Amino acid sequence: MTALDTLTTPAVPRRTSPSRGLVLAMLRLHRSALLFWLGLVVVAAGALLWAMGPGADAAWTEYTDTGCDLSHPNLGCDIPGPANSRYQTAVAVGIGLIRLLPLLTGAWAAGALIGRELENGTAQLAWTQSVGPLRWLAAKLAVPAVLLMAGTLTLTLLHRMLWSSDLAPLGVMSWRAWYDDGTFEINGTIAAAQALAALAIGVLVGLLLRRTLPALGVAVLAVVSLVYVLDEVRPHLWPVKTAVRGLEDGTAGSDSMIVETGALTASGARVPIPSCSGEPGCDARNGITHYYADYHPASHFWPLQLMETGLLLAVAALAAATAFVLLRRRTGAAV
Amino acid sequence: MTALTAATTPAARPVRHRGGLLRAVARTHRTALVLWLSALAAATAALIWLHSLGDEARDGMSACATPPTDRLPSCAAVEAITADETYANGIAVLATVLSWVMFPVAAWAGGALVGRELESGTARLAWTQSVGPLRWLAVKLAVPAVLLTAGTGTLVLLNRWARGDGDPDLVGDWYYPDAFVSTGPVAVAYALAGLALGALAGLLWRRALPATGVALAAALLVHSVLERHREDLWPAVTRTEAGSLELPRSAFQVAWADTPRHGVTLTRATFHPESHFWPLQSMETGLLLAVTAAATATACLVLNRRLP
Repeated sequence: MTALDTLTTPAVPRRTSPSRGLVLAMLRLHRSALLFWLGLVVVAAGALLWAMGPGADAAWTEYTDTGCDLSHPNLGCDIPGPANSRYQTAVAVGIGLIRLLPLLTGAWAAGALIGRELENGTAQLAWTQSVGPLRWLAAKLAVPAVLLMAGTLTLTLLHRMLWSSDLAPLGVMSWRAWYDDGTFEINGTIAAAQALAALAIGVLVGLLLRRTLPALGVAVLAVVSLVYVLDEVRPHLWPVKTAVRGLEDGTAGSDSMIVETGALTASGARVPIPSCSGEPGCDARNGITHYYADYHPASHFWPLQLMETGLLLAVAALAAATAFVLLRRRTGAAV
Repeated sequence: MTALTAATTPAARPVRHRGGLLRAVARTHRTALVLWLSALAAATAALIWLHSLGDEARDGMSACATPPTDRLPSCAAVEAITADETYANGIAVLATVLSWVMFPVAAWAGGALVGRELESGTARLAWTQSVGPLRWLAVKLAVPAVLLTAGTGTLVLLNRWARGDGDPDLVGDWYYPDAFVSTGPVAVAYALAGLALGALAGLLWRRALPATGVALAAALLVHSVLERHREDLWPAVTRTEAGSLELPRSAFQVAWADTPRHGVTLTRATFHPESHFWPLQSMETGLLLAVTAAATATACLVLNRRLP
């Protein structure tokens, strides 16, 4: 083959590196997934852009027209009008697509990217075409990772623009806090890291099970549990601040993620808020001197983001490394 | 082949095809069968446990007084009961699970039940084994349909039983999307629609993974469209009153308008009272069964046309 090549193309200076062919083959093989991903990014970006511009304007006009911004709002202000519904729907579509992304990525990576190729034997065929198993796996991980990063980070930037333009009027109408599930992930680096972790988990599951549909099912379960567990541990990834207030003072800042609240006795011990709280004499009777609240102020946004991103990237790296070790052991391949 | 069969088994055994086909379907999809049965067992156990928590949970929500009177318990005692939170969370999780049965069913039907068999050619092999394609499809749909109807129906009944008197503070108002779907025949209809849509997607795409994706997308579309337009499935009640109108908690509010007229505010509220639960359930179930029937009929037509 190489001899033939040199004969027919004697000294052509064009050097096509084998990686380029591998990347092109991958893009062609998974062209429907590529188109789907482009479509998803376009739809989500379109929804966010529309919400940022005309959607928000129309919703705010409607809100002021019905007099809900005045001092005597009516009961109808509890129900969003049509323009506000459209705004909320657009934001929900944008965020919903991004929240679905880890699940879709995991399912696709386990099923279409790896599982189907091993089940059909097309992977084994590819390994005979001057591409070793480890190079093949590296391409399988790297190309989708780059595309996922590009798309997710674009959407993250768009959502951050929407969020910073989400001024007081829209704050009234959309009732979103920085720590809400969905909003928190897409405002920082977590959304992209989740996609990477899902990709690596999907690839590992596909390599382990070597069959399309079982791999798909197991990967979906694994990704869903990972996202769920991280949602649960999120408040504990960074030390909380504690606000202590006397019995008559107001509450802690309203823009904070409240982690835990309770009461303090004179010795400083933390006890649950007594059920009679608010009645005269109740606090003294129970020996309570202060109330406390453990919370994350808005300034903890980036520390929390980076801790969770780090965890996700560690999971991704671990899964990818395991996949390489597994494939190497199974095929006995050198790099 | 027939001659040979006739020669070796003269007229002795009346062969039971149907049983064989049933067994073959159950054996091919034994993983799905085991998963479905274990999910049913887990959900049943959870619902029985929640029912047993019910009375304590309702005690944890009861009216109280400080200091206690002879009719009302003390608030400290009521507050100390934590069962109400566990109960409310458990019921909410099961309501969500029950109203989402459609999604895994559609993905499985599109991928494993039909798509994979057509992609790998095992369907064509089966059609040579004295089972016609339409019979094959009928059994493929009937067996899961029976299992889904029996399982989901049982869970809906258990769920209604576990919800007790349906205190909206504990189990959610009747018109909450999850609560609405998980307490009536609609839950079964969603599962059946998922099965039919999945099978249709599998027959149209004839490949496991694309069919899985398309079936899931179709199920998501049907689910979200119906959830959005649920309130329009039955004529709502409109009440107009001057001054402040207050609807009962059980009213499923659809629209609200305040118009000042001659110095008085005229309030016009459109809502579904709780008595609309069954009409709404019947309409939605009917719609879903129509979708199921249409998808099944299309699947049969597609299969028929594909055949030589």
